Amino acid sequence: MSEKKDEATCFFSEEHIKRIREQYDDWFHNCLRDADRQMEGKVFTHSGIPVKLIYTPADVKDVRYLEDIGFSGRPPYVRGIYPNMYRGRLFTVRQLAGLGAPEDCNRRVRYLMDHGATGINILLDLPTIRGYNSDDPEAEGNVGKCGAAVDSIWDMDAYLEGIDLGAVSTSIVTHLPSTSLVIPGMYFSIAEERGIQWNQLAGTCQNDFIMETCVGSGYEILPPSVSFRMQCDVVEWICKNVPRWNPISFNGYNLREAGTDAIAEVGIAIANAVATSEELIKRGMNFDDFAPRMSFFWDLHNDFFEEIAKCRASRKVWYKIAKERFGAQSAKSMLMRYHVQTAGVTLPATEPHNNIARSALQGLAAVLGGCQSLHVDSYDEAYSAPTEEAALVSLRTQQIIQAETGVVNTVDPLAGSYYVEYLTEEMVKRISNYTKRIEDMGGLVSAVENGWLHREIANYNNEYQKKIENGEMKIASVNFMRDEMAEVTPIKVFEYPETYSRQKAKLERLRKERNDQKVKESLNILRQKCHSHENLYPYCLDAVKNLVTLGEIEELFREEYGLWSFPLL
Amino acid sequence: MARRIKVVIAKLGLDIHWRGVYLVAQFLKEAGMDVVYLGNKFPAEIVEAAIEEDADVVGLSSLCGNHLTLGPIVVEMLKKKGLNNVKVFMGGVMPPEDAKKLEKEYGITKVYLPDTPMQVIIDGITESMQGTA
Amino acid sequence: MQEIDKLIKESLNGEKRSTARLISMVERGNENAPYILKKIFPFSGKAYYIGVTGPPGAGKSTTVDRLIARFCKNNYSVGVIAVDPSSPFSGGALLGDRVRMHVQQEKMDVFIRSMSTDRVMGGLSRTTKEASRILDASGKQIIIIETAGVGQSELDVAEATDTVLVILTPESGDSIQIMKAGLMEIADIFVVNKADRPGAKDISLSIQGMLDRSLRKREWIPPIFMTSASTNVGIDALYEGVWNHSRYLKQGSHLEERRKAQLKLELRARIENEFSHILWQDIVAEKNVDKVVEEIWSRSIDPQNAARKMAMELIEEVVLKWGKNLCQ
Repeated sequence: MSEKKDEATCFFSEEHIKRIREQYDDWFHNCLRDADRQMEGKVFTHSGIPVKLIYTPADVKDVRYLEDIGFSGRPPYVRGIYPNMYRGRLFTVRQLAGLGAPEDCNRRVRYLMDHGATGINILLDLPTIRGYNSDDPEAEGNVGKCGAAVDSIWDMDAYLEGIDLGAVSTSIVTHLPSTSLVIPGMYFSIAEERGIQWNQLAGTCQNDFIMETCVGSGYEILPPSVSFRMQCDVVEWICKNVPRWNPISFNGYNLREAGTDAIAEVGIAIANAVATSEELIKRGMNFDDFAPRMSFFWDLHNDFFEEIAKCRASRKVWYKIAKERFGAQSAKSMLMRYHVQTAGVTLPATEPHNNIARSALQGLAAVLGGCQSLHVDSYDEAYSAPTEEAALVSLRTQQIIQAETGVVNTVDPLAGSYYVEYLTEEMVKRISNYTKRIEDMGGLVSAVENGWLHREIANYNNEYQKKIENGEMKIASVNFMRDEMAEVTPIKVFEYPETYSRQKAKLERLRKERNDQKVKESLNILRQKCHSHENLYPYCLDAVKNLVTLGEIEELFREEYGLWSFPLL
Repeated sequence: MARRIKVVIAKLGLDIHWRGVYLVAQFLKEAGMDVVYLGNKFPAEIVEAAIEEDADVVGLSSLCGNHLTLGPIVVEMLKKKGLNNVKVFMGGVMPPEDAKKLEKEYGITKVYLPDTPMQVIIDGITESMQGTA
Repeated sequence: MQEIDKLIKESLNGEKRSTARLISMVERGNENAPYILKKIFPFSGKAYYIGVTGPPGAGKSTTVDRLIARFCKNNYSVGVIAVDPSSPFSGGALLGDRVRMHVQQEKMDVFIRSMSTDRVMGGLSRTTKEASRILDASGKQIIIIETAGVGQSELDVAEATDTVLVILTPESGDSIQIMKAGLMEIADIFVVNKADRPGAKDISLSIQGMLDRSLRKREWIPPIFMTSASTNVGIDALYEGVWNHSRYLKQGSHLEERRKAQLKLELRARIENEFSHILWQDIVAEKNVDKVVEEIWSRSIDPQNAARKMAMELIEEVVLKWGKNLCQ
């Protein structure tokens, strides 16, 4: 813990703590009932941290305000990464919008922006996410569902029609490194065509090899080492060429949804950041060249205070790693910027309107935790991607938090809460240990390749399921207060069935109009470069400019690098 | 039921969510069934596996919207190949109306929506086998 | 019998569904199993059998997938039996080898069947051999048997195949050190998979060293192939290596000797099985085993002599019974 206690920065004096302890003992033995005393040691947070009945200054006696908590905008950044936090800049209300053909998405984006959204979040359909064209056989049944179909640069153009790329912040949820090499390139190309300089573009792409190899299963998966190389290629190239763009968002959210607890969620994302940083440094970059552009993506789950503590703790863990491990010189390299999405996995299908309450509470926790941007899940999460009505409720939820509750008026309002500070410190410890464990195993890529991470997820799910089925974990309306006679609420769902035919027609036209020679050349060069140590980005960029489709590029990768399966069964 | 029930389970098409289907596969194994897990496969491969494995039951997992397109194709193909006794179950995320449609019009024996207890699934599969072999 | 005969006929013609159903019947010990095996056996023995074993996670399924692709490219038809362990508690099994196998139906003539070890503490179930013979009889030219890779699986697979591939990875170092003599003895070909990882060279040298130091005189020295199955590296050489071994076996009478030796082992095992079956089913059920346990417990007799005594008594009984039957 702390070395020499500096009375000047501790909350309470030794004498005061002594008296508090005495009072606590008295209260514990004389005030509580037997039953209450029995419960001590039996209550835990979701990730297994013990929770006492009451927290007093004695529980945080070694926490020093200046060193361990500090001020917002200053190390260790527990209270927030910017000095003025929400007074200076409200969290970006970034709601997802992506359904159907790019033209349909364009309409939804403009609808949301008219109603106050300040950033665009481009969700892609499953074939696009996994690197297939809309007319590939593998895309069957999924074109335009749960996201936008993007096959070529033409689609990106349609998606962004009428939007001033120099004025918005765009998140392109590409998930996989192999598609992050291609699709953001389409965005950059279009911006160039529209006369907007790359240094004006602001946004994020997800680019996380854990998504490719762990979180989601797939029909054809690239090997982890290949996916990781591509992840680093994307970061390297974008840092050098599109300076305001965040080329990577370490995805704790999807990992959490797949099946981990809060500690593992942050631990793994940070381990990924460490591995990426090491690789980029090997490639000759300085930590301060790329770290300021690294961002994170957290899940906001149910355990209200644990999640807030997680957010605060993650900032501190990152700060320490940036400073002590990588010798960061620039303050910007030590800030953990993150987007938060409330936890979809906690929103059941029964009595879906309850989910509005769940998401609102989670959204509140996210703001109390100090996020930079937020997406609140819609109540129909268990059925489909959000309908317009549900999306609007989510948007309003955020606006209510921002404008009506007053919680944004002051920085980190829960600081000083004995419970929250205890939890924060505890989580800092556990997350750091988790990250170290992964490093001791040989690093994250290795841990993925040999199946360790998959087993962690499978085991977690197994235990979680058992807890739900035996009632240990209570979910209202599912296994607790379940209304057996309840009618299932009819939910309206949006469909865009013509997406497939529209995309198919577009692809046919594209193939006719493009220059076959240029297509062939781009693909040939890319094929060669796959086995070199060069950064693949510029070659992918050239290809998309020559109207090579996403599917063609991804198929090339599969051919050159071979396929991989979860080492689980 | 003296003999073990043979279940072939697949993620439909490109669907990425594996936590649920993997859980179900494990619980079915612990209930004494032989579960052949295919990972992500498309209808033709799923049906081929059902033939080769002499499956009693085919389980499909779909959370990404392809349940009405690819699901019925599996049932169709099984019928075409003469596997009329194979029961097809689906699990995943979809509007309840779609689930009803799959059961009533497309020959899916039962659709299990999120939060269905594992025992319900195990019992459902076991009961569907009564009256056969 | 007519239905079964129809199934057998169709299966011998290469029809998939009937073949699958025959395998199921044999797997489950269905009453028709002996008849089925009797009928198909004469048609088996034409295929070439390849066994694939190694510790879990070595990349067996991926390697099998790559080999299937090569065999098919050269127009061979392939049957695969992938064996995974069953749960000793529930008897059920999670069979996941097919995840790694990608078969293009239109271009490839492949039949893949997953089997559990069926509570046998080993790598193959009792009926794996029988299932492989059904595939053989149905016309598959190459049969690949992939084991669960735990327990005594290595020995099992050596008794059922012509070429045994032992697949290791750089992480297998410790298990070799533990001198799994079985592995070293049964391998016809060693594969060091995930050879792009550090330590691959060391494993290879380790294996080579053990082979050099081995006291057993070998006519066939197992080659060592370095592969990275997931990226398709080294598989062509491995494929050639398998053919090489098959050519070696087909010289002279090696193949015949090997298969006859395997049949002999199989016959002995089955005879023991028959006896043990009769013993526990028909005879001992009548005997008061518990009574003898009490005698041992009270130290009035030791286990070995108790067993001998019981065995002698049983043999007398059998002879008496037979004697009676003969006289009647």
